Amino acid sequence: MELLKRREAWNITYTHALGETASWFFVQIRDNARIYGRRCGKTGRVLVPPRAFSDQTLEPTTDWVEVGPGGRIETFTIVYEEFQNLPPPPYAFGYVMLDGADTAIGGFFKGVDLAEPAKAAEQLKVGTRVITKFAEQRKGDMLDFWFERG
Amino acid sequence: MALNRRIAVIGSAIMAPAAAQNQSLEELLYDIAQAAMKDAGLTADGIDGIVVASNDQFDGRAISVMAASGSVGGVDRDILSTPSASEHAFVMGVLRVASGQYETQLIVSWSPVEASSLSEAQRLGADPYFHRALPLDELSGAALQASAVLAARPEAIDLAARLSARNKANGRRAYPEAATSEAIGTKPRWPIAADMVAPPVLGAVAIVIASEDHVAKNGLKNVAWVRGMGWATEAGFLGDRDLAIAPALEEAARRAYAEAGLSDPRNELDVVELTDVSPYQELLAYEGLGLSGKQTWKDDVLSGVFDPGGSLPVNPSGGVAAINPVFCTGLIRIAEAARQVQGKAGRHQLDNAQTALGHAASGFAMMYQTVLVLGENKDGAAA
Repeated sequence: MELLKRREAWNITYTHALGETASWFFVQIRDNARIYGRRCGKTGRVLVPPRAFSDQTLEPTTDWVEVGPGGRIETFTIVYEEFQNLPPPPYAFGYVMLDGADTAIGGFFKGVDLAEPAKAAEQLKVGTRVITKFAEQRKGDMLDFWFERG
Repeated sequence: MALNRRIAVIGSAIMAPAAAQNQSLEELLYDIAQAAMKDAGLTADGIDGIVVASNDQFDGRAISVMAASGSVGGVDRDILSTPSASEHAFVMGVLRVASGQYETQLIVSWSPVEASSLSEAQRLGADPYFHRALPLDELSGAALQASAVLAARPEAIDLAARLSARNKANGRRAYPEAATSEAIGTKPRWPIAADMVAPPVLGAVAIVIASEDHVAKNGLKNVAWVRGMGWATEAGFLGDRDLAIAPALEEAARRAYAEAGLSDPRNELDVVELTDVSPYQELLAYEGLGLSGKQTWKDDVLSGVFDPGGSLPVNPSGGVAAINPVFCTGLIRIAEAARQVQGKAGRHQLDNAQTALGHAASGFAMMYQTVLVLGENKDGAAA
């Protein structure tokens, strides 16, 4: 028999509040091209991305600490699939432990030829030193910066 | 902490992949619930409460109870739902019977493929401040984890290939009409090869559990006792975690083994069903479950101890690498483990599977970990 399907496309826009901590973090990226973490007063750990409180100690964080721009690749992947609102693939992304930080931040890796995955993976292997680069025009979001070997 | 009462799986049904074209979601849920209740020898009148688990973004519906209630017997009956993971519905069901307020529970989970992209739906799981701008879906999480594992143990690349081939061969043997050997159909995520991952399929699973009193009163002989159960969670931000280890799984296993009275799981278990999006996660699970470790991965995997015919067969069903109904794979692993204990696993039934482990992981890079030890022998759990 004839089986029908119903196609439903929804377009709902959300406007999320960032709060004071994430707002200050992104303003520093936008206006000064600097990355900051928040220190947990109890453990001294510097949390990047910054959080208003530590989800381990449940204590409010106490002060801002500038981190990077250098860092170390903690892990990475190379993606060949297209996603909405992202640059065309392929691209590499992963997590970097910025100098002075105790947790790693996610971001894109650039400046590596991704045509041959095995060769690219060698360039991005865990432990590789990277430097944070900032876009000329910055909007105050995660796409304002990326990491390159350096 | 031991459970207050002994509880057993008394029936189950797995439909994965389910027929994709000729049923609505409500019709599929009706069928899976009826099949599990029939397997348990009950009708809906014998069900005291229901727990369902599904992913609203996958379903294209908000609040899964709305879609499921009519199908699974939830009209005028106690029903709860959780979006966190299919296996969490099982945990909730067991705790509800352990509370003493219920004798039976029906647990149902499903995972459709009606969304234009499950990857995009999974991205909604990430926070909108720091992670939504990354291509972070389940496969990316698994790939980031795989890179961390490879950095710790470079030989994992060869072991992963071997495990992947074994899981696919197991899947073809267990479910020849369903298991796929085709590549994912999209693209690989370095270092996970496209052919290591099964494409998402529509699936559904239902399990009926009951108290020891119900089992005795009804003279049920062939049940799988919940001997031990543990679950634990890691940090939500991947950058806060060391992805080359699985501390939440170690904790979940510690609790489950303590309840079950297992001190040497590798020798005391007869079969293991793992939730492994990639074979690198399988290696991590061996370590978290205390079945093998980074130093011994190579020797253990190459020796065939976890292969069919080995001393501790893993994933006789083929696991997620063979058939991947994404959201409900964890609950399917628990059902597979129970069916092994009951001798109802089908083509992949092992001889003398008295004690089985069902492992479930969900969230990005196995953030949530759950371990069930199920047994023919009811000792364990309730001390």
